[in-house]
Amino acid sequence: MFNKYGKIRLLVQFLAFLVILVNPFLIFYWHFDFVQGWYQSLGVGNLWFVSPLEGLESILVSKTIYLPLLIGMLIPILVALFLGRVFCGWICPINFLCELEDRFLRLWGVKKRRDLIRLPRATLWFALVGDITLAMILGAPLFVFLSPPGLVGREIMMAVFFHTLALEGVVIIGVLVLNLFTRRFFCRYFCPLGGLLAFLGQRRRLRVVQEKEKCQRCGLCVRACPLGLSPQEGESQSSYCWNCGECIDSCRFESLSFQWVQGSGGAKR
Amino acid sequence: MFRRSVLDVNRRTFIKSLLATLLLSVSQKAFPRPFFTSPVKVNHLRPPGAVPEEIFPAKCIRCGRCAEICPYRSIKILDVRYGVFAGTPLIEVEKIPCYLCMKCVEICPTGTLRPVAQDEVRMGVAVINHRQCVTWLGIALCRTCYNVCPFKEKAIHLDQLRPVVDEKYCTGCGLCTHGCPVNPKAINIEPVYSFEKHV
Repeated sequence: MFNKYGKIRLLVQFLAFLVILVNPFLIFYWHFDFVQGWYQSLGVGNLWFVSPLEGLESILVSKTIYLPLLIGMLIPILVALFLGRVFCGWICPINFLCELEDRFLRLWGVKKRRDLIRLPRATLWFALVGDITLAMILGAPLFVFLSPPGLVGREIMMAVFFHTLALEGVVIIGVLVLNLFTRRFFCRYFCPLGGLLAFLGQRRRLRVVQEKEKCQRCGLCVRACPLGLSPQEGESQSSYCWNCGECIDSCRFESLSFQWVQGSGGAKR
Repeated sequence: MFRRSVLDVNRRTFIKSLLATLLLSVSQKAFPRPFFTSPVKVNHLRPPGAVPEEIFPAKCIRCGRCAEICPYRSIKILDVRYGVFAGTPLIEVEKIPCYLCMKCVEICPTGTLRPVAQDEVRMGVAVINHRQCVTWLGIALCRTCYNVCPFKEKAIHLDQLRPVVDEKYCTGCGLCTHGCPVNPKAINIEPVYSFEKHV
């Protein structure tokens, strides 16, 4: 049972990263353009995915509706509604890079890590609302350009296609440096995309559920959670949880598990 | 008598002004254009089917798929120095023109590049500078622009062996600008449609 989800998740993250890493090479050198884009918008043949935040901002800022855009947003939104913030935990390339950073630190012998900077969790909602409002005032979707999940893909594309790195890549470095102080500092408090997915996933079906009788309140899951939640207090039920399964792996007493919760019950338990 | 100097500058003001000049010049180099000014100008065009500049930065989600799929590498992505236009696609026809393969139009997920037919593309209009064009000046008999035009006889026809552009058919693809052997170019694409009012 140990580290079951951790291994699967690392594999999924790696494959998801491989898509945006290998794909620009395939297109640039072999003109194999079956798959284009990265995690702002990904095209697989005729199937399009559009990141919900990007699509929403495009609609709100330009005040027009384009049907293919809505259809492209459909699958990511459904995933967020049923599974919650799984994009963040299982796919997002910046989280993958943070994860690698964490693992390197562990190899270097940095075992215990405290979250040095802590903000109120609700900062996430302010980031989301602030970003959308600012984008609407400026008349240009701001975050879509500087969003780390998309930025990683764009930097790889820029490197392959134009043999330069775009200046805005410093944001990635910033996020990785902040991750040294607090695990997933940006993801926790400032990622508007994460905020939107968390908002959509408030009534998600897939949840990390705790069996109170088995819990020994040892605190291992609290230490494992990259978002600083404490599953032993039932915080895995909150909208901030991104269903990564780290806490389930860490639990010695099999008190935590993924469960498909029926109905919308238990949104706040 | 020994006067200190004509301009009475002490060290502090000197260093201050030096720093200010340096900062200003560096920032002007790093940010060559104002935050809200469109990068679209002569020979710097949006890809085919683009919505007017007024709402282009609002609609485009900067996914870069148009740049990735462009088989000629005509489309490049602007970087952070272009303010609110950062991340949007641009074609510099002098370097690589648009060959109107219409691939970018098909995959744009936001409708920023509207699905249009090849002959409906209006990236701009080719304008011949009669004071530069060697044929119009009567120096030589060049008709490169006519030869490379994808809508020959419609967009560019020859009138007494001199090239004439018909804006009714010109797509603004920039093949003529790219091909023009004169330096500076005698035929340039003016992005007239990019600054129309959005309806």
